[in-house]
Amino acid sequence: MADMTQSGLAVTPARIAAPRRRSPYPGWFFLPAAIIYGVLFLLPTVASLYFSLTRWTLFNSTFIGLDNFAQFLREPFLIKGLINTVIYAVITSSMKVVLGLLLAVLLTSQIAARGYLRSVVFFPVLVSTVGVGITFTVLMHPTNGMINEGLALLGIKGPGWLVNPNLALYSVALVDVWKGVGLATVIYIAGIVAIPRDYYEAARIDGATKLQNFFYITLPLCRPATSTVIILSFIGGLRTFDLIWAMTRGGPGFASDTVASVIYKQYQSGFYGLSTAGNVVLFVLIAVLVVPLTMMLNRKEGHE
Amino acid sequence: MAGLELKSLYKSYGEVEVIKGVDLSVDHGEFVVFVGPSGCGKSTLLRMIAGLEEITGGELWIGDTLCNAVEPRDRGIAMVFQSYALYPHMTVYENMGFGLKLAKTPKDVRDAKIREAARILQMENLLERKPGQLSGGQRQRVAIGRAIVRKPEVFLFDEPLSNLDAALRVDMRMELSKLHDELGSTMIYVTHDQVEAMTLADKIVVLNGGVVQQVGSPIELYQRPANLFVAGFIGSPKMNFAPVNVDRVEGTSVTISGKDIAAMTLEIPLNAVQAGDVLTIGVRPHDLVPSPSGAIVGRIGLIERLGNETNVNIELPSGASWLAVLDGDQALQRGASLIMNLDRAKIAVFDAGGQAVTAEKPLA
Repeated sequence: MADMTQSGLAVTPARIAAPRRRSPYPGWFFLPAAIIYGVLFLLPTVASLYFSLTRWTLFNSTFIGLDNFAQFLREPFLIKGLINTVIYAVITSSMKVVLGLLLAVLLTSQIAARGYLRSVVFFPVLVSTVGVGITFTVLMHPTNGMINEGLALLGIKGPGWLVNPNLALYSVALVDVWKGVGLATVIYIAGIVAIPRDYYEAARIDGATKLQNFFYITLPLCRPATSTVIILSFIGGLRTFDLIWAMTRGGPGFASDTVASVIYKQYQSGFYGLSTAGNVVLFVLIAVLVVPLTMMLNRKEGHE
Repeated sequence: MAGLELKSLYKSYGEVEVIKGVDLSVDHGEFVVFVGPSGCGKSTLLRMIAGLEEITGGELWIGDTLCNAVEPRDRGIAMVFQSYALYPHMTVYENMGFGLKLAKTPKDVRDAKIREAARILQMENLLERKPGQLSGGQRQRVAIGRAIVRKPEVFLFDEPLSNLDAALRVDMRMELSKLHDELGSTMIYVTHDQVEAMTLADKIVVLNGGVVQQVGSPIELYQRPANLFVAGFIGSPKMNFAPVNVDRVEGTSVTISGKDIAAMTLEIPLNAVQAGDVLTIGVRPHDLVPSPSGAIVGRIGLIERLGNETNVNIELPSGASWLAVLDGDQALQRGASLIMNLDRAKIAVFDAGGQAVTAEKPLA
């Protein structure tokens, strides 16, 4: 009896001490991924933090402390760019949420040619952004563009989509939504399809209408999809560059400049240290806006 | 006050018929259980009553209303789903009040109804919780509460206990039975578990392949199964079967024998069988008794000792295996030979088509 107790005691601490699950794979398996991640992500990140503190000409660099940041923040059009960036991110992400959800509801209901329509909605995601930008620049030409020619047939005088300083940013945002809504739709479709049918059946017995189904079941239960779409498209909106550059180059004047296009212009002028500092500022901006947003979305989600 | 009337109900998905002409009448206040193996159509039949599946043919009457084309919410039914289908983002209170809210019931009436249902189910303390914070049994209770709140004429249950563990299932079974007595409403309950069917039902409907095999009280089904399927499905452990030949017929006395069964005489209704017919006899494992002068001789296979009874597998000469449930703890040896007697009055006899030909006898 005494022996049994002792051996029992000997076993117990070992069990408590080893709660960590052992991986079935040897440790060195993670090396390839670690090397790629280190070389392509960690190293450039750390290097850019350093170069943002230097006057840098690609061949040599002089440490100048926070001067680059001071200069970047004095940039006359930076404030305009910052405001534009946030407006752009809010518009594109909210429109992708609304349109993506509506399209997903439509494309998960019993309609003809559903599979085909899903492909149609997703197709713009696959096309090159620059290609889309150039195409829409042509379509949105104030006099010869197909959009305004079409409007003219209806007797409407189309606006100067990309040449009107008050409109250019919104026009680009519209094109961004057109191109990106497919991805939001696919995420929402996955979210909606994952909602058990029982909920709708129970609601049907309770007498819910289609609209009530949407507001009481679909909308709350695809909240994880909503969070994903908001965060992905909001970050995408804050970082946006290629579409703006392809369509307006930040113009007319500086009307549609975003932080990223301001940074790019500085690269073009050879101010590498300065523009790297701009990138750090953009990174901080994204973090400051997205981290609390993510926390808020995740907290509300924590009902299950 | 509503009973139900199903008149040659059909359901098909394209070419595939899943419900093939079901006729059934359910009285008000009855507890009816649909039982059958997976894919027999019992859930489909329930969903047709609920209005979640369209009716291909036939008539469905709930009370005095022909309900074929009536929306689920207007049928006076409430349904408890196998998955419970509790909305995860709503509290228990909101879940239970959802239907009333949709029906625009005034807030104070709604509140009173929810609290009344919570009182009946003894879960007043759970009202502010979300389904994710409840145990399986509690969720089950909420699902039932949501049904009670609607004050339906007919309750529909789709395998409501199948997600619970064995002990909880027994508890909930008793609670459901109590609830039925308390509410006095009509209840229709689907299960594949014949023990649930036997314990809960006033009336059992055995389904197989979309066809009703037999309708009757649990004891009727147990003692007088209408065919081989019902005989094999109802009762636990399963009934033993053996093929026999009819040797001689003298009025209602029929002598039978088979590879595994020594010649014996049974009482069978007049002209039901002829000499030379092949029949199947069925004997419940509880009706086998060891006896030196028995009709069955076999070798003892597996022995399961449960304390209060002993389950013995007996290998018969034909290679078939029978199960006997013997009282108490029996001193038996594996491999030894065992002679068993069977209670003639309790033998079920089926013709070559599998239909019962057993003599009418009063229910015990």
